[in-house]
Amino acid sequence: MKILLIEDDSETAAHIVYALDGAGHDVTVCHDGLQGLETARAGGHAALIVDRMLPGLDGLSLVRRLRDEANNIPALFLTTMSGLDDRVEGLQAGGDDYLVKPFAFPELLARVHAITRRGNAPSAEPVRLCAADLEIDLIRRSVHRAGKTIDLQAQEFRLLEYLMRNMGRVVTRAMLLENVWDLHFDPRTNIVETHLSRLRGKVDRGFGSELIHTVRGSGYILRAE
Amino acid sequence: MFALSFVILGGFVLVITNQALRDQILAFSATDIAAIRDGYAHEGVFEAREVINQLMASPASSGFYLLQQDGKVLDGNLPVMTPRAGMLEMSASGHQVLGTGTFLAPGLYVFSGSDTTRLHAVQAHLLNIMLGLFAAALLLAVAGGALVSRGFLRRTDAMATACRDIMNGNLTLRIPVRGTGDELDRLAEAINDMLSRIAALMENLSQVSNDIAHDLRTPVTHLRHRLERAQADSKSVEDHRAALEAAIAKADEILGLFAALLRIAQIEGGARRAAFAVVDLGALLTQMRDLFEAVAEEAGHSLELTNADALTIRGDRQLLVQLFSNLIENAIVHTPQGTHIRLSLARDQTRAVVRVSDDGPGVPKDEHERLFRRLYRREASRSQPGYGLGLALAAAVAELHGADISIVGDAKPGLVVQISFPRPEKA
Repeated sequence: MKILLIEDDSETAAHIVYALDGAGHDVTVCHDGLQGLETARAGGHAALIVDRMLPGLDGLSLVRRLRDEANNIPALFLTTMSGLDDRVEGLQAGGDDYLVKPFAFPELLARVHAITRRGNAPSAEPVRLCAADLEIDLIRRSVHRAGKTIDLQAQEFRLLEYLMRNMGRVVTRAMLLENVWDLHFDPRTNIVETHLSRLRGKVDRGFGSELIHTVRGSGYILRAE
Repeated sequence: MFALSFVILGGFVLVITNQALRDQILAFSATDIAAIRDGYAHEGVFEAREVINQLMASPASSGFYLLQQDGKVLDGNLPVMTPRAGMLEMSASGHQVLGTGTFLAPGLYVFSGSDTTRLHAVQAHLLNIMLGLFAAALLLAVAGGALVSRGFLRRTDAMATACRDIMNGNLTLRIPVRGTGDELDRLAEAINDMLSRIAALMENLSQVSNDIAHDLRTPVTHLRHRLERAQADSKSVEDHRAALEAAIAKADEILGLFAALLRIAQIEGGARRAAFAVVDLGALLTQMRDLFEAVAEEAGHSLELTNADALTIRGDRQLLVQLFSNLIENAIVHTPQGTHIRLSLARDQTRAVVRVSDDGPGVPKDEHERLFRRLYRREASRSQPGYGLGLALAAAVAELHGADISIVGDAKPGLVVQISFPRPEKA
């Protein structure tokens, strides 16, 4: 996947390039906001990773301009600010996700994959999601596996829905906390592990194959094979 | 302003007294005329002249009289005049005379009047008194004003001096307050309040710098030790990998500590208040229960929520979630298995009160205050994960919401953290 990285700090940029390169991506780097905007306009990239603070043109304005030009390239903001409103600002400017520096490589990779998936998503909201013999109905909020009905609590349903929408892609703990529970801090207790283990108990236990897997050091993945 | 009001007042008094004195003169002459008319009515011209002579002879008399018939003086101390009925004012034999004239019979005219020089003398006297008063008042006003403004200037000078001393670093100094409650005192009090607030903020700031300087050294030193040991002892690739993983975990912990400190500082800055919206505490606590119930159970605890009626306050939802999460996680992490944790919501007229209580071993009362301090960790919990920032952050969020957070009750049973939020006034 061709990715455009706009980041003025060369050490951070080198670091990110190393991570993305290792995951088999092809990264173009721009160190300046205006140059980055031109490169993004030229097209040919599957995703954009952009720092909030840039010389020339700041990241927020850059993405806002692209969106004004109907350029919908998936965009991930990076920031050193831990501002509570920064995330909302980033999403309002047209960003698809937001990551606070410093971050772990798996976190960056998982989020880049998640936003590129969003970019290709069908325009109509699906009514039903399937993974192997597991099927969830988003309207009736019901879950079936191998013809059996599975009862899930509201939170468990949201968790499963998020995993299925990201089927085949790693989702991190932080992504689950943000998207399933709207929690934007690092809890001290094992919230994610606990709820996932309960979900697995209902969805995977007693069925032939496991769908939800733990990816060590990264997060979780729902795979249909 | 003072002089103008004095002139207006003086003029008013003069006009009034002048009018009163003239009225009195006219009243006297009316009485005289009545007496003369009475004499004439009973005994004719002769008796009228008798009355006039008696009046003129009276020692108290200062009057002027005239009785004339067909242009000839019959009696009196005034020369012939053109007879006219009613009030008259004239100059005669060097006097200014005011009085009343009337016809006793056709051709028979009588006049009675008084010298108004006396009236003018009274007025002049009055004027003198008033000028004297004016001068005295003016003197008093100027002297008093000078005294007052000298006091005022002395006090503002004292304030300016105090401000300069504070600026030069004597931060504990305060502006003198006299306790009279006047404008200057109120100003001084306001400035003192401001100074106290600034001092508190500065103390806070230096506390944070100290925290960072001292407390962050510990985990960084640990990290260094770990890497040193790995360098010296690691024999295999496996050893290296394990050492690096441990080092990364330690680095993450330090970064987490930084992030938590920054967040507290940001919340204490107060900028978040702009993002306040209506938050239903009942719904929020239900959500917290759903989130942590399973976690508590896994840890061998139980978590229950009593009373989750809708009860709204104004606040920042995200921060409130973090506040309650911290309190619940504290209860889960710091209590032994089998502890019962309870969330409750109560209300009175003006407050919405949330309590997070447990029946664990609790915390001795003399430590309660310190629990809310940044990076404070109890001896007993040093082995547990955490930075000692959970309650400090909770306190910062509570303060942002104008809520009181405190530990209520004693250690029997357990710990009860109470947050009392102000309820928005119903429109």
